[in-house]
Amino acid sequence: MSIGKEPMIKVQQITKSFGDVVAVNNLSFEVKPGEVFGLLGPNGAGKTTTVKLILGLLELDQGEIEVFGLHPEKDEVEIKKKLGYVSEDPLIYKSMTPKMLFDFITSIRDLDEAKTTEKLRYYLESLEAVEYYEKLIATLSRGNKQKMQVIASLIHDPDLLILDEPLTGLDAKSAKVVKEIIELHSERGGSVIFSTHILEVAEDICDRIAIIDRGKLVALGTVEELSKMADKAGADLETIFLKLTQQDESVNHIIQNLRKMFHNDKKK
Amino acid sequence: MILLRNKVLYKASKRVYKEAVLHAQLQSAGSNQQRYLERIEKDRIARSPDIIYKLLATIYIASLTFLPILSVFSMYRQLSEGSSFEWLNFASGIVNGAFFFIQLVILVVFALMLAWGIMSGGPYEWIHTLPFSRKEIEKIGLLTFVRSINVQLIAMTLVLPIGMTVAISLTIGPYISIWKILAIILLSIVLSLVNTCFNIGILIILSRKLAIVMEEYDFASKKASFIRIGTMFAYFFVSMFIFSVVNIGIQNLDAFYGLNGLSIKDSTLISNILSFVPYPFSSGYLLSIFVLDFNGVAPLTIVGSVIGFLFHCLITFLVIRKALTILRNISSPEIKRKKIMRRKTIVEDIVTKNLPPVRAFMKRDLSIITREMQQIVVLILPIMMPIYTAITGYVEDFHVIYGNTTVTVYFIIMMVYVLTNTMAMIVSTTTIETGGETIMAALPINERDKMKSKIPYFFGTIVIGMLLSLLVMIKSPIFIGTLYLTLSFLLVFPIIGVAGLLLKVRLFGKFRHKYVVEEIKGKYKFSKYVLIILLISLMMVMFIFSAVVGYWLIFTCEAVCLVLLVFTFNYMFPKKEWKVKYLF
Ligand SMILES: Nc1ncnc2c1ncn2[C@@H]1O[C@H](COP(=O)(O)OP(=O)(O)O)[C@@H](O)[C@H]1O
Ligand SMILES: [Mg+2]
Repeated sequence: MSIGKEPMIKVQQITKSFGDVVAVNNLSFEVKPGEVFGLLGPNGAGKTTTVKLILGLLELDQGEIEVFGLHPEKDEVEIKKKLGYVSEDPLIYKSMTPKMLFDFITSIRDLDEAKTTEKLRYYLESLEAVEYYEKLIATLSRGNKQKMQVIASLIHDPDLLILDEPLTGLDAKSAKVVKEIIELHSERGGSVIFSTHILEVAEDICDRIAIIDRGKLVALGTVEELSKMADKAGADLETIFLKLTQQDESVNHIIQNLRKMFHNDKKK
Repeated sequence: MILLRNKVLYKASKRVYKEAVLHAQLQSAGSNQQRYLERIEKDRIARSPDIIYKLLATIYIASLTFLPILSVFSMYRQLSEGSSFEWLNFASGIVNGAFFFIQLVILVVFALMLAWGIMSGGPYEWIHTLPFSRKEIEKIGLLTFVRSINVQLIAMTLVLPIGMTVAISLTIGPYISIWKILAIILLSIVLSLVNTCFNIGILIILSRKLAIVMEEYDFASKKASFIRIGTMFAYFFVSMFIFSVVNIGIQNLDAFYGLNGLSIKDSTLISNILSFVPYPFSSGYLLSIFVLDFNGVAPLTIVGSVIGFLFHCLITFLVIRKALTILRNISSPEIKRKKIMRRKTIVEDIVTKNLPPVRAFMKRDLSIITREMQQIVVLILPIMMPIYTAITGYVEDFHVIYGNTTVTVYFIIMMVYVLTNTMAMIVSTTTIETGGETIMAALPINERDKMKSKIPYFFGTIVIGMLLSLLVMIKSPIFIGTLYLTLSFLLVFPIIGVAGLLLKVRLFGKFRHKYVVEEIKGKYKFSKYVLIILLISLMMVMFIFSAVVGYWLIFTCEAVCLVLLVFTFNYMFPKKEWKVKYLF
């Protein structure tokens, strides 16, 4: 692995709109080598859009992104050689089997057959997915598709992992294994961008967390720093999270209305 | 109250039926499901593809009415022309048997897709969560199935009685007693009903068998792929077959009856044996015997066809009973699925292979193509269409001679086919790329390799189709002219294909610093496609024009185009990616 002191990812004041919707609004952060960086925010906050911008899958409106000191749009191929990506929806070929898929990936990435085989066996075993190796991807459950995606992102020992809600659909055991892999990966000096809408997961895994809401950065810091902020306000992290993302009032409102509705039904 | 309840069930069966239609469509759409779903959102016709199948099947079945009518006409004509009674009985037994069998084939082939959808049991799952009793759900199951073939059923039961009534009243009607006429009509109604029941039963059993194979978890198996390709071929062959039966039948039925091809002894012997065969010949002979005269037919044939038909009734009864059990099981909450024993993957089986990128792309494409109905069609069409045209006798001896070149109408038709097939191929080779977006997004892909892997398709099936159709028309008077033309055009097909492909990539795939095979710029889709079609048609016209001038010009044009294509390809997809420049 070729990892120096330079940040793996540099994101500077990026903005991206879809028509009237500003999905990412003037966002800046850096990800250092060996760091697990969390993108936390409610649904529609702009996490996936940010991730796709970093990957060069979407065009930037404004700002600048550097990955490994390279330009994601111009040096796409160079960057992708050292990167693993788990997307939000496992849009992997439905009419292929994992076997075909991994053969394809091995070929395109030009990986060593023996080494890759060994790793693949290991990963499939540890995620308990061996039996799906020759089944059609279309027939796999959401969780098993996700496992295949996770393995596909790891198989070439990338320096950088970009994981967009990677634990969706995984059972507790597999989730634990994936968390462990993330930890080992970062111990070895690799970086991770980890996008999630679940606070506990971010708290559990990430070294630093960026809380974003409606495309804007609302808080950035280590878990301790964010917790301190919460303590100062005399609340727990969840309350702070809801407050920061301006969801606290609307949640209370919704809960009140629900209570009313259930109550009325009972009376009848 | 009960009536009201039945109405509810009927409504429910409509929902289940719609669900099954969608299910069947999605299954054949394979990885294009997303695209398909988007399409049916906008397009109402795309939502009911079943109507097309129903319509086609009904037209085909109805067009069979001519068979018994013509058959009766010819029989009586040839009887007076001197064909032996025994030969006519034999011949008409065969023709009637064929009539019953063709009905079955048409029904099965055109209803199979839909029947799969129903038989998978999937469409019933939701119904079970609603407050229906078991019995009611069974009823819904039957109603749904009947719905899927309702029009065909009506056509199938009516064709023979109507055909026979017309035939008899126009031929022997005036000379025989009213009782005999009624007997013949009654017989044709009975035969029609029994065979229709038999056909339904067979359809249910067959489609359940196929549904088991196609059952989702076994979707990837070789067997399932084979069946999918098989049905696809079946559609073509049945269409071709019916077309030929109508065509050849009308022309040659009379000659067949007049052939008098077997001696009286042989005809009787074969009739005696065949009449015992319950399906389809016993029905065929029974009809034949009634239409001819009892007195002239060998007693053994009469006995044989009666015994054969009784057996046929028994078989039909068993088939229907089995079919009903299947329907009951299908609509029950726990589908009694045959457990398919499968080998368990063990860790030692896991081996990955590293292929050169272009081959890896091709392998991926082929594995997708062979599992998707639509893609298979695109691959098969270029082979089927020319042969189809050559066989169905549209090879008119019409041609224009310019100098040394013979341009035939047949060849012009072929060129139109080539254009449509080329377009279909362009669209399908590029749509393969959607469906695996997230994997592709993370891979360091060289677009040049990806693009290279698409080119062999344009050298493949279209060229093979043209050559095969030449074989079919080897005896035709325009064979030599078409042969020269086809051979000199062999390179034209791939040239036009690749040119169209590059054009499509240029119009749809301009993606920041490079061109990509995927559709990125989806705006003005229609105009862009029109532009592509116009330009490749123009190229085609240019080539045909050069063929008129002389072969030397075709070859010159081909050489120039080839050089231009290679140059354009390297320009759009250079070896080193960072040098990519835009065209225009
Ligand atoms: N392709 C797109 N076209 C239009 N709007 C989009 C598109 N992708 C995302 N958006 C919008 O951008 C916002 C952020 O979406 P996303 O990044 O997916 O959020 P998250 O991943 O945090 O849930 C949402 O309002 C979403 O509707
Ligand atoms: Mg998201």
